Amino acid sequence: MQSDFFDSHNRHLSDARRLYGLQRWANADHLFGLAAECGLKRLMIAFGIKTDNDGTPEGKYKIHINKLWSEYEAVRTGHSQGVRYTLSPTNPFHRWDISDRYGSQSNFDQKRVDQHRLGAEEVDRLIKQARKDGLL
Amino acid sequence: MVTFDDILPRVTTLLRKHREFVDQLDWLVVNRDLNSRVRLIVPAELEAEDANQSLLEALVREVEVEMAPHGYIAADGVLYESTLADACDGACATQIEEFKNVWFADRLATEGDWSAIADEAPGAARIVFFSIKGGVGRSAALAALALTMAQSGMRVLVLDLDLESPGLSTSLLPEDRQPEFGITDWLVEDLVDNGIIIIESMISTSNLSRDGEIFIVPAHGRNPGEYVSKLARVWMPKVNADGSRENWSKRLQRLIANLETKIRPDVILIDSRAGIDEVAASCVTDLGARLVLLFAIDGSQTWGGYRILFDHWGRSGVVTKIRDRLQVVAAMVPELDRLSYIDGLREGAYNLFSEFLYDEVPPGEPASHYCHFETSDEAGPHYPLIVNWHRGFAGVKTLHGRLVEIDDQELRHIFGSLIDGVMEVTRVERSHE
Repeated sequence: MQSDFFDSHNRHLSDARRLYGLQRWANADHLFGLAAECGLKRLMIAFGIKTDNDGTPEGKYKIHINKLWSEYEAVRTGHSQGVRYTLSPTNPFHRWDISDRYGSQSNFDQKRVDQHRLGAEEVDRLIKQARKDGLL
Repeated sequence: MVTFDDILPRVTTLLRKHREFVDQLDWLVVNRDLNSRVRLIVPAELEAEDANQSLLEALVREVEVEMAPHGYIAADGVLYESTLADACDGACATQIEEFKNVWFADRLATEGDWSAIADEAPGAARIVFFSIKGGVGRSAALAALALTMAQSGMRVLVLDLDLESPGLSTSLLPEDRQPEFGITDWLVEDLVDNGIIIIESMISTSNLSRDGEIFIVPAHGRNPGEYVSKLARVWMPKVNADGSRENWSKRLQRLIANLETKIRPDVILIDSRAGIDEVAASCVTDLGARLVLLFAIDGSQTWGGYRILFDHWGRSGVVTKIRDRLQVVAAMVPELDRLSYIDGLREGAYNLFSEFLYDEVPPGEPASHYCHFETSDEAGPHYPLIVNWHRGFAGVKTLHGRLVEIDDQELRHIFGSLIDGVMEVTRVERSHE
């Protein structure tokens, strides 16, 4: 299946918000992480990183949000169009892990999810900005 | 064929055609993006309203057809935002005049849009030296003014913001007094929270004045170092730990505020970059200037440049915020046919001011109620202060050397009109304190 990171950012974020509203912390947390990852990958592609045939970023960028946040900064500052697409210097997802989806939901609470929710919303603001700027 | 200048009139015509739909919206934003393509931004709740969707689609389909190649395909021609503020965030936004609820959001690749006019800064009066063309004697005039103000007992802070063509500091300081760092260094170091370390080492005092003091902050330090690489980074926005973003012009304002706290000057003289440029935009519109001196040489290049700028202020609806701070300076007035040259320059300036910046007085109304001046009215900002051309300043190797030698009479002969005009403004400012 061909990747569409813009669409997947939007749907993961939309579902994450719904789950958050229902206090389904564990899956909301998972989807906020995926939403942020897809959003940043879409922006990095717009800035000019290479992709494989299926539209996913090439080798070194096949990583999840806990590592991608810092990689994004390196890509952004190397591309003239990325100058204004700044993220907070501290990665809010540094304790998020893709394998958390196998953990018990008793490990998740609102405080933990809020940090990731704010990170995903920050990425969403950049996506919206990119749409208004005509980058996407 | 649609080209850039057709975008706004065409889209206005389309909105007029769909007025019934447009009028019922809380707000609508016409968004012109970095590639000069147009999308509409509408309130998010509209996405779920079936009745309005078909009306919106009809409008967007027409935008696609009528604006090509400056539009988007209809399926991708609408963006949704929760609030008008979100829709306009980061853009130069102006209301489209004939609609109460429609805004035009212009996205620019540069941050300086020349139309966000900051209120006058509290504290010392900030006086900006600007010209459309370089080489008109701006730096020499600034140096002469700084010297005169300091001799009258004032503490004068001079900032060289002509970052892309630096040199003012070498005019005011001998080489052995150049500080170690400059504004460019600070703007780079600030990105890594290192600005505070160098701020003490970027201020030098001039030895020209015996009474007051002239503090000079140059564009770069004694050794410019990797100046080109540093200059290419000064425009960077800074992201603070809390995620808040500060654009480069805001960072510059923070620097000036810090310098002002440290030095406590009576006046701040700012040498701006010439032309319609990013740094110049910041100097003229963002720094809260009390007075912006518009240096001019009578000629089509000068007036053509100022015309573009004045026209932009008119279109952006900011004329009343900027016009009171402007003052034309006739630069390098020649010795031959001096009076007719000044008359010609005044006429050229008046034509522009009256076309774009001055109010028209309706018949029967008193002119005193409006911002309106006659050509010969010395109180009008079009009426130029004079800087005479002088062979003593033409082709001098160092302005500093020239200023050390100059006597008061000669200084007044060349710069007297400018000095008196600016001192008057500064006095008014100081008497308000």
